Amino acid sequence: MPLIQLENVNFSYDKNIDVIKNVSLSIFEGEHIAIIGHNGSGKSTLAKLFNGLVKADSGSVKVMGLDCSDKKQVYDVRKKVGVVFQNPDNQLIASIVEDDIAFGPENLGVNRKEIAERIDFALKSVGMEKFRHSSPTRLSGGQKQRIAIAGVLALKPSVLVLDESTAMLDPQGRKEVLEVAKKLNQEQGTTIINITHYMDEVVNADRVYVMSNGEIVLSGTPQEIFSDREKIAKYGLELPLSTTIADELNGVGVNIDGDVLTEEQLSKNIENWLEGLCK
Amino acid sequence: MQVEVKNLTYTYSEKSKDLATRALDNVSLTINEGEFFGIIGQTGSGKTTFVQHLNGLIKITNENSSIQIGQFKLQDKKCDYLGLRAKVGMVFQYPEHQLFAETVFEDVAFALKNFEPNLSEIEVQDRVRSAIEMVGLNYQKVKEKSPFELSGGQKRRVAIAGVIVAKPEVLVLDEPAAGLDPQGKKDFLELLHTLHKEFVKTIIIVSHDMNVISEHCTKVAVFSSGRICAVGTPKQVFSDYELIERLNLDLPTTAKIIKKLSAKGIEIDCDLTVKDFVRAIKDKGERL
Amino acid sequence: MKDFSFGQYYPAKSFVHRMDARAKILISIAYIVAVFLVGQFQFMGFLACLLFVLIATICSKVPFLKVLKSIKGILFLIIISAILQLFFRSDGKVVFEWTFIRITDMGLLNAGFIIARITLVVLGASLLTYTTTPVELADGIESLLYPLKWIKFPVHEFALIMSIALRFIPTLLEETDRIMKAQKARGANFESGNIFKKIKALIPILIPLLISSFRRADELADAMDARCYSGSKNRTRFKKLTFTYRDLLGTLLIAGLITGIVFLNITGFLMVTL
Repeated sequence: MPLIQLENVNFSYDKNIDVIKNVSLSIFEGEHIAIIGHNGSGKSTLAKLFNGLVKADSGSVKVMGLDCSDKKQVYDVRKKVGVVFQNPDNQLIASIVEDDIAFGPENLGVNRKEIAERIDFALKSVGMEKFRHSSPTRLSGGQKQRIAIAGVLALKPSVLVLDESTAMLDPQGRKEVLEVAKKLNQEQGTTIINITHYMDEVVNADRVYVMSNGEIVLSGTPQEIFSDREKIAKYGLELPLSTTIADELNGVGVNIDGDVLTEEQLSKNIENWLEGLCK
Repeated sequence: MQVEVKNLTYTYSEKSKDLATRALDNVSLTINEGEFFGIIGQTGSGKTTFVQHLNGLIKITNENSSIQIGQFKLQDKKCDYLGLRAKVGMVFQYPEHQLFAETVFEDVAFALKNFEPNLSEIEVQDRVRSAIEMVGLNYQKVKEKSPFELSGGQKRRVAIAGVIVAKPEVLVLDEPAAGLDPQGKKDFLELLHTLHKEFVKTIIIVSHDMNVISEHCTKVAVFSSGRICAVGTPKQVFSDYELIERLNLDLPTTAKIIKKLSAKGIEIDCDLTVKDFVRAIKDKGERL
Repeated sequence: MKDFSFGQYYPAKSFVHRMDARAKILISIAYIVAVFLVGQFQFMGFLACLLFVLIATICSKVPFLKVLKSIKGILFLIIISAILQLFFRSDGKVVFEWTFIRITDMGLLNAGFIIARITLVVLGASLLTYTTTPVELADGIESLLYPLKWIKFPVHEFALIMSIALRFIPTLLEETDRIMKAQKARGANFESGNIFKKIKALIPILIPLLISSFRRADELADAMDARCYSGSKNRTRFKKLTFTYRDLLGTLLIAGLITGIVFLNITGFLMVTL
């Protein structure tokens, strides 16, 4: 059974403009999914459909068999699907790290002893144990975002949705957040859904969905997605820079494999090409 | 206009000792007219404090420090800051967050009315029109609109128009492409190039995106702990692998590949733009 | 902007930190009452209050300088009130006279009295915020206001709003600073001109600030929903408020202080009348 299943979902904030048009998708346990698309393509709305922050106008959104549009089940859904948003400053509620992480479990009515355990666990998962009693305002962007992740992990979710959670961070902060997500995915089997503009984050995903004007227009492995150069351009996306360079090289007669996505693959291919010439 | 910074030292909250941190420590840097200058470094390395000195948003406090930009001597108590700010434009991160007026026209005209209060209505209109067109927007279509109705990318363009309307000779941009989607980012960097070619003589950008730096900048300065560790062309700066790694910075993609190839005994000598990199690989192949 | 210190928590594990937030709030209120009870020119009373704050500070492990720094924020207010007292009290013996300025001994005494009063109040209040996290503070107030629930007062929401407001003060100050700089870079002038010009000059700051606050509020609401917030129903508390021997000691101490001051007042009154 899929963890998250959308069937023919439509959604609009006001009646005239459809934000989500007839979207169907299935996400399975333990997957690392990337969702990309231009600004306003509806990808952030998708994140809000996953945990019932917005309700589908038609079609169904199911999380582990729970119905997101059912008022009685929506809190159970939110326990399963944790969403971390873009601006770390706007999702930290308390002035002390541990109080902030406690917010979720408190809402669930978890007892005091278990809240303490969950705080320990969440801080450890994001590597921020040392900052338990700090004030979030004094932390770096990457650290704040890790606290935001910890706040969601304290709900013990099965799915972690990163809704452009790295967009406002510097490269160091981005690295920190991505490492945490990777670790959660590999060590705890948490399903990761990363909504992003960064193509180098997409490269590491198991599967990719491309959104444009509220529709899913492409899906597949990163390899498959990026091999369709025309559509990538059409939907306002870009190729990983290594892929672009490979294309340019091919264009001037340097014949290398066009399927590269990473720097390693590109340099290996150039190396092979040069060696081939020597022979 | 040449920007000449000498021995710039700045300390936040000088009086309260426990919070005192030296943001800038004896920084000297010359940025020549016509340059597309990049400033890189970790968060907290002093980049922002440095650029905010360039138009007097942070004033020089250390008596041995001096900044000269054209005829403006910023260490002078009597420095004409208003005149300076008209000549050195500053675009902050997410500049669209500073929009406030009822119409795009009013917002763009704001700086102009501050800097040149004696302009006639007609002159104001001309200048606003050319600034809006310069950033690639349709003047007739947007001038009466509320800036808040526009899309994210358009808002950012309006914000830039609101700075270049004063006809600055130096334009400083802090992380100009942050938050834009890939297409928006590409268009926006192209816009900067057009501006540099036709409108603003010197552009200074602060960025974490090394590919943007290597692709667009003529020169780069590397900041760390309030000091400048290296200045040079992207090629020069990014060939010091040891320094870049020590400062926990990234290399541009092209430099990463050159480094990997070099480890295999293949030396590629080129600028770090994609175009020149491709040319160098092709040349290398042809020589074999 | 970054050294904004009033209302900031100072993390430590001390006697005072471990006290019940409710007790601390009540003691702080009692302390402020005590400071105001000190009769005119009963500087002994102030000395007793100072002693109380000193003991509390030592027991809180908050550096003394840090507590003193909280006065900096309202220094202006203190000076203004002192000057007003100095110049506008015309009774008493003249100690200094120059053209229209006349300073009397009563004026001096009064100024000293005002300075002592405001300083002591601020020291006590800042010690409360240094040793109590905003969440504890909010929980404490919520618990103390609990009886108001009977008249349908939204106690939980009120407390939550307060703690969120405290959390966002530094963020909004930083943002104000950034917007101000951006508008200054566009030639805005906040310093010169008459009062109307100054108010008009604030519009380019206030509007972006307002818009961003709405955006923040919107995102915060989403983030709270995403973390299963559904009001006060079935909600548990991580930090438990329990009354311990510490709170009893604190209560005894403040009771002693008030008794002492009242005693001083009575003896003072008796001395004057008899």
